[in-house]
Amino acid sequence: MQKEKDIIDGCLSGSRRDQELLYRRYAPKLYAVCLQYAGNTEEARDVLQEGFIKIYDNLSRYNHEGSFEGWMRRIIVNTSLERYRSRYYLSRVDDIEDVPEPEAEPDTSDFAGLEAYDLLNMIMELPPKYRMVFNLYAIEGYSHKEIGEMLGISEGTSKSNLSRARYILQKKVVLLTGVTRKMVNV
Amino acid sequence: MFNREPNIDIVFRNGLKDLEVLPPSDVWDNIPPMPVRRSLLRTVTSIAAGIAALVSLALVAGWYLRSNETGTQLAELTIPSGDQQAVTVISSPTDDVEVIAAPPVPADAAVTAPRDLNEGIAAGLSVVRDDQQPLLAGLTDSGRESEASLPFSSDEITVITAGRLTGAGKTAMPELASVSTRGQGQRFMVGASLSPSMGLSPQGQSVRLAELMNSEKARPSYTTGLTFGYRISDRLTIHSGIGLASLGQTISDVDVFAGLSDFYAVKSNYLYSVETASGMIRAGNTDLYLTGAGNRVGSLVQGADPSKYNLTQVGSEIRQVFRYLELPLLLRYKVIDGRMGLNLSGGVAYGLLVDNTAYTGQGSDMVRVGHTEGVNPYNFSSQLGLGMEYSISTNISFNLEPVLRYYMTPLSDISGALYKPYSLGIYSGLFFKF
Repeated sequence: MQKEKDIIDGCLSGSRRDQELLYRRYAPKLYAVCLQYAGNTEEARDVLQEGFIKIYDNLSRYNHEGSFEGWMRRIIVNTSLERYRSRYYLSRVDDIEDVPEPEAEPDTSDFAGLEAYDLLNMIMELPPKYRMVFNLYAIEGYSHKEIGEMLGISEGTSKSNLSRARYILQKKVVLLTGVTRKMVNV
Repeated sequence: MFNREPNIDIVFRNGLKDLEVLPPSDVWDNIPPMPVRRSLLRTVTSIAAGIAALVSLALVAGWYLRSNETGTQLAELTIPSGDQQAVTVISSPTDDVEVIAAPPVPADAAVTAPRDLNEGIAAGLSVVRDDQQPLLAGLTDSGRESEASLPFSSDEITVITAGRLTGAGKTAMPELASVSTRGQGQRFMVGASLSPSMGLSPQGQSVRLAELMNSEKARPSYTTGLTFGYRISDRLTIHSGIGLASLGQTISDVDVFAGLSDFYAVKSNYLYSVETASGMIRAGNTDLYLTGAGNRVGSLVQGADPSKYNLTQVGSEIRQVFRYLELPLLLRYKVIDGRMGLNLSGGVAYGLLVDNTAYTGQGSDMVRVGHTEGVNPYNFSSQLGLGMEYSISTNISFNLEPVLRYYMTPLSDISGALYKPYSLGIYSGLFFKF
């Protein structure tokens, strides 16, 4: 298998073959990220296409420090955020809703049999504002302050949306697995 | 960042960590080919050219504004006739305007002055000398303005260069030209220059070199940069600065095809090499299949025949480009010193190789092939020029000089044959003197 650096160098030298090689190698993983954020396949394919164009455009800036996959993932996430902002910014509802806090968290060991596709579907079914906050907080690891700045919402709204997303996801997980809730220490 | 880690977060984070979903097949088709990146050097070159253009524009704008300013001063010039004649002397744009009161001049005084305005400008301050024309002493030494009140003869008026001066008795000088073309204190100059040139290749000094050069053609080259000068004497100036010189050649008997990596696994940093008069091109782009005449192309491909593969031709020639960061040192001598002068220039330049690229393709669809091995990382070149210098104003001059440049160090040493190109170009530069 051709080395990652060789592929990047090939892309930079204008080799279409290397560009395709790069796409084939990383597109499946990045498309999964696109689906996580987009919520539907049409939107996801647009994000993937736009994201890869950006990746190629900025490839010369990648300095081979840190994970290349992580670098590409950040571009895809940012592209998703841009599309989200342009689409939902004007119509977003920032009001903090009265979200019931989950009384308990399910024991993760009981969900070991959950397929990744099931989890992806659950996230995709979330309303956009909950989905974005959950992805950024739970998957990417951003703080509420950072999420607030990224999405143009307050920290409180970010927390509220996260709680709501967790609540919905927990219900879905329980429904799918039939696992009875257990009280766990968090 | 993780202040609180509810388990549901971990379930999703771990569960989605390695998820892969095959994207629709048409996504790739809609992603346009990645444009070939302009190298940092090309970017720097563009910026340098932009700066040079801006400096040039600023100088022209400055000259234009100063010209307008002088025009305004001329418009305000009034010389009342009568017993007391006030002579206003507009000095050069860089000097202060001074008003010198002059005593009445006899009506029969013979007054001579250049009739032609340009002639007046050309005459300039060079004809003004303190010891002979006390009236105009204030022109160069404001502290001596009092001397202006000294009586003077009508002859002394001749030193005032005017557009029209018909007689002292009825003198009103509606137009009075600038009296200087060169400020005495202007020893330094800064400017931007550009020298497009055509490279010329000498005949090969060995059979092999001559054979190679039969299908190689020098590419148009250029040198651009910022120049600083110091006037050693009225006629001799020393110039230095920093510039970028680009030269190269085109190898016309090599065909280049793309798509090889679909069929052949790469086992080295390059698969093909191309022998040229400037050195050996190593084709680092291993997606390319190269073929050519005259045993010029060498191959490391083993156990395969790429000519039988279905490859796409992307070029029928290879272009080599070498760019040098140059530090010139030139002497410029004014053979004819005037508004339109004639200069003889000569000097040397030290060049440091900063870009060495070989590419193929046409238009904007360029494909990098590799680089040339064996190219000297530095060079010394000499140049000789003879051309004109036109003084746009006191501070700004424009140079245009045909220049012959010869590279004293060879571009490379191939098969023991030293390859020293030369070029013939036009040096053009705009200088601001201060």
